[in-house]
Amino acid sequence: MAAADSPSAALRRDLCSRGIRLAGKMRADVVDLLDAYVEQQGLDPSASVAAMDGVPLAAVERWDEQTGTQRLLENLAAYRAFRALLAQMLEEQREQLGEADAGLGRALAAVLLQVSAFAYHLEELLRLESRGIPGEEEEEEEDGPPPLPRLSLFEQKLRGLGVLRELAQWALRSVRDLRQLAKPSPAPGTAPGLADSP
Amino acid sequence: DSHVQYERVGADVTMKCGSMDWDAAVTWTANGTDIDESHLNGSYLILKNVDLSQSGQYSCYEGSSWHLKYQTYLRVGTPPKEPVLMCRSNNYPKGFYCSWHLPTPTYIPNSFNISVIHGTKDMVCEKDAIPKNRCHIRYLQLFSTVKYKVTLTVTNPLGKNFTTLTFDEFAIVKPDPPESVVAKPVPNNPRRLEVSWQNPSSWPDPESFPLKFFLRYRPLILDQWQHVELSDGTSHTITDAYAGKEYIIQVAAKDNDIGTWSDWSVAVHATPWTEEPKHLTTEAQIAETTSASTSSFMAPPTTKICDKGAVVGSGAMAVCWTAGLVMAAYSVLFI
Repeated sequence: MAAADSPSAALRRDLCSRGIRLAGKMRADVVDLLDAYVEQQGLDPSASVAAMDGVPLAAVERWDEQTGTQRLLENLAAYRAFRALLAQMLEEQREQLGEADAGLGRALAAVLLQVSAFAYHLEELLRLESRGIPGEEEEEEEDGPPPLPRLSLFEQKLRGLGVLRELAQWALRSVRDLRQLAKPSPAPGTAPGLADSP
Repeated sequence: DSHVQYERVGADVTMKCGSMDWDAAVTWTANGTDIDESHLNGSYLILKNVDLSQSGQYSCYEGSSWHLKYQTYLRVGTPPKEPVLMCRSNNYPKGFYCSWHLPTPTYIPNSFNISVIHGTKDMVCEKDAIPKNRCHIRYLQLFSTVKYKVTLTVTNPLGKNFTTLTFDEFAIVKPDPPESVVAKPVPNNPRRLEVSWQNPSSWPDPESFPLKFFLRYRPLILDQWQHVELSDGTSHTITDAYAGKEYIIQVAAKDNDIGTWSDWSVAVHATPWTEEPKHLTTEAQIAETTSASTSSFMAPPTTKICDKGAVVGSGAMAVCWTAGLVMAAYSVLFI
């Protein structure tokens, strides 16, 4: 039988549980948004979209071997990228479509808000583990996301499709990642949760 | 010389007797039985519109010497129709398997070749020893948006056919049904049944990839099921069972986030707890018989009608308020 939880372990578990709910809700909304996006943009729902620069891919090898820290850092980097991508999609939407797709614009804005909230939630988890949070500005100066090229309307639509698909998969991956993080530490006496071991 | 010859059902088949001339005198046999000369054109054997029953060993002997000149095994069959292919992950996130079969038999040997492509990458589907028409793949990546494309080609000596499935990683996730489903009555609760079950043993990591469950139940006497969806836990108490009725209960499972529901588990039967019927003593039986034929009310000895404090009167006529009202009602009835 495990010893009583330390306050930080209990807080970590609580943050993970809330994060799981956030990610679950976000995924459901992204899936709905994806359906609406495909329909309103006149896209083929089975169309394959090649990986695009700047869109974080959810696909990962050896997922079960990742450390807790790796999971949090990769999640955070992804959602920060999605925040920028969704903001750009929203701007493009407003430029092109005006009133016709106000509903789509609102749905995009709602998802953007959830992505921002989730990114903040991930930062909270990293702070809890006394991990440094990578600065966004620092990253941009050093590697920077590539400047998003001016795309044709059709290319914008395809990129939007790719962004939303990857975001849906990221939300699913985040749920799984947080469940892994919420697991109790295997060895008594070690630091809870996010020791650098699988 | 001897070999195997494959022909389609309905085909016309001509067999030559090896290197013998057309006008040579020969005898043909099928599975050791002489074939009538009406089937011969010179030394050639002609079989028109062959059917499955004509599969067998055909031999040709030189007329005078009875030397065996030619032998062949005729196999009559059909080219393969489009195979039926199914892929499923019942052990997510470890991998998935694909299984296949032909919709109709060909009656001749078939070989199957399966290819799996994920994006630009070829993957190896390892054949299972049992069953033979199945192979499995380990997921090298998780959470990919790139679809998997599985192509199964079936080939036999009379032709080939193929089918292709394209799917997302998460779309084919379908656990096996829950195991060890048990349903028990709850003592002193005539409307309850306690149901418990276990995760399917093929699901490798229920802690990280939790399952949710769907329970259905109905009394045997009714056709309509009641349903309950349960997001966690592997037990549930039914609280609205009909007293005394036998129930049939099943459970299904699904990954909490992706995929489809499993098939229903093996059905279990249970009947809610019922009170034991009271044993009647001889005196009680007489008392009941008497009370049935008279207008007076007599309570069975074990039945408590009223508290001691509510008794009025004394001696043989002592009755309580409740009994008094009942007797009054009976009296009115029989006036």
